Amino acid sequence: MIRRFCLHACVVSTSLALAVCTAAAAPSGSSQFTSKVDAVRVDVLAADNGRPILGLGPGDFEILDNGIPQQVELVSFDQIPLNVILALDMSASVSGDRLESLRNAGRGLVDGLAKSDQAGLITFSQRVRLGSALTGDASQMRYALDHATGTGSTSLIDGVYAALALGDSDAGRALVIVFSDGLDTSSWLTAQSVVEAAKRSDAVVYGVTVQSREKPEFMRDLTNATAGRLYEVEKTANLRSIFLGILEEFRHRYVVSYAPRGVTADGWHTLQVRLKGRKATVKARPGYFAGN
Amino acid sequence: MSASSKLLGGLVTVSILASPAVAGQIEPRLVPLTDARTARLEQWLKAVFHHRPGEADAAANMVASWSSPDMRALDHDEFALVQLMRHGDSVGPQFEFPNPPGKPILERYPPDRYRRIEVLACAAGGYVPGGAWRAGEKLPLLCEHVEAAVALDTELKQLAAAVYAGRMKGDHDDYILRRGALLQADVALLPSRPGTPLPVTAAPSLGAAVSLSISDGEGVMHNATAAIHLAFARSLLDQIVPPTEDGVDPKRDAMVRQWYVTTAAWMQQTQQYMTNHLAKARVMFPNDPHILFLSGCERETYATPAMQSAVRSASLPTGVDFEVGSDQSELRAAEGFFRDALVVKKDFPETRLHLGHVLLLRGRAADAVIELQQATTMFTDDQQLYYAELFAGAAFEATGQFDQARMAYARAAELVPAAQSPRLALSALDRKRGDRAAALSALRDVFALPVVDPSGDDPWWLYAMTQARNADALLADLRRPFLEQTP
Repeated sequence: MIRRFCLHACVVSTSLALAVCTAAAAPSGSSQFTSKVDAVRVDVLAADNGRPILGLGPGDFEILDNGIPQQVELVSFDQIPLNVILALDMSASVSGDRLESLRNAGRGLVDGLAKSDQAGLITFSQRVRLGSALTGDASQMRYALDHATGTGSTSLIDGVYAALALGDSDAGRALVIVFSDGLDTSSWLTAQSVVEAAKRSDAVVYGVTVQSREKPEFMRDLTNATAGRLYEVEKTANLRSIFLGILEEFRHRYVVSYAPRGVTADGWHTLQVRLKGRKATVKARPGYFAGN
Repeated sequence: MSASSKLLGGLVTVSILASPAVAGQIEPRLVPLTDARTARLEQWLKAVFHHRPGEADAAANMVASWSSPDMRALDHDEFALVQLMRHGDSVGPQFEFPNPPGKPILERYPPDRYRRIEVLACAAGGYVPGGAWRAGEKLPLLCEHVEAAVALDTELKQLAAAVYAGRMKGDHDDYILRRGALLQADVALLPSRPGTPLPVTAAPSLGAAVSLSISDGEGVMHNATAAIHLAFARSLLDQIVPPTEDGVDPKRDAMVRQWYVTTAAWMQQTQQYMTNHLAKARVMFPNDPHILFLSGCERETYATPAMQSAVRSASLPTGVDFEVGSDQSELRAAEGFFRDALVVKKDFPETRLHLGHVLLLRGRAADAVIELQQATTMFTDDQQLYYAELFAGAAFEATGQFDQARMAYARAAELVPAAQSPRLALSALDRKRGDRAAALSALRDVFALPVVDPSGDDPWWLYAMTQARNADALLADLRRPFLEQTP
């Protein structure tokens, strides 16, 4: 049975893909965005009773940046290629049937990608490894999945960091899917620092963990911060359907762009995204960092 | 770093043992002294004589097979034996057995089998006529009537002769106590059979012990006997008469101190933690810097996420408490122990290193910088220097000194070229400063690292055991004098 944690049910929050990293363009001493070069991209899932709402345009969205209403200029739906990064736990406990389920789930995800999409693989035991760089070559990904094996302890936090950084390495929309069956036991980076890094990244993180008595606080904070979703599963036999469900949900997100006006350029910006004139569940990042 | 200190395939076994105290009594209890029980005392004496310290030999395996109730009975019988050994006819058959933290337990031995205990006491004290006994030397009255040829077999006679020889060299009658402590430590700590997982609803019997095995941060409870064997070992050493003293005073005995330091290091090397073991060591040797240092390291480990989550996730039987507090309380305790160690021994760079790490975790990065910078000037060991630079980098970063942080991380990366942690730290630092290209480049360095030792390429993975990296040498030093005497 899958217990699904819906982190933002009935709560307006915002998911942001900060498309422009040109803080250097801001004139010294001013800290205002310049409308010519700065744009903010927000990754948004809009749903009604759990079903994605389709066919929305710029006029349907309302965005508040630090409480200031913004003009939505562009809405994209399923047009921007995806960069899907799998960050998979390959510690000693991932073996036998669990390992095979995980590989099968990865293969299923790769098969579900469009031609323009790319996928990458990060594996982590105590060591973080690049199974495959971002590639459109499905056979390369399948090879990497087939040769990933479980040994050692769990550097979940380090692994997630690597996945986030890999996701930022390309201009596409980054979806990071993290699987872990245990808790972090050997990372150097701290949970707080990687959640902060996630807030600064463009990626949306979905997490899949195996149910245990200990709550996966890091994964919850991470998926919250990026407006993803956390799945806590009892068994790993149906990982494939979960991964494909994540992919399908992600494809139903909008990328809403606007050029910030009336707000300072640097620092943390809280975002609120709503649909105009209708009741809906809107899932997006709670904010974004601008500048350094 | 020895093989035993490597992470074993990601499954780290940690034993945290809690033993509920046995309640004391007022009226003496009649000891159910069966033939099996007296036979076990005799077998134990022979095991002490034959055991080769450091080996899982037949003697150790036999003692390891005894149950917890067997060991508790043996503890009492051994105490009675030593009292008889030292005080002869003036003691027994009723004895008051120490039972900390509860009241002493009064037990009376039945007369019919008590005689055998007296005979064994004479063998254990070396008071056996004939053989190596010095001509003209007076035996204790208790032992005058022991007819060795009838009452003792060859092994017990040999034991008596060995005890006597030790006494002639100035070690009083501590033979079975010292060698018994080595035997019991080997039984407790040498690699052995895994425990049986405890059902969630099980409650341990009084005086039982449980251990917590940790896998991926989850805790699984087991029945465990290591605590009982070590507790017995400690009670043996509690009865030591130091060579230069006339009465029982183990706190003045060099071998006892050495035993506590060595076993504590050994336990941390093998990631077996028993809070009361070091607690007893501190009572015995409150100003020993190494015991204080290891106490701090124990608490530092208790504060780790893996330990904290394992303790939280374990289903504890009623009445059992692992005595592991919150991460912040454990870090506070660790800091206290490290500072106490530095008061006694200022030039103790490894303590400064761990203190710096603890201060960093407590959010006192500026204080951490001071300790860690001092440690870096004192280390000659590259691995310890690596830790100091890595932690200093984190401390600098936390205080906003990013350039110094970068340099410290870079030095750590240079010290251990195969380590991923400093390179991940550099990547994350670049990313924090907005330089994503540099962050990705540093991350690619991580991906390109060679795999030389899958479980040991990055010393950070082994930090929890680094303080015990000399445990093998300590064990060799502790055992050497006794190996020379082993038959």
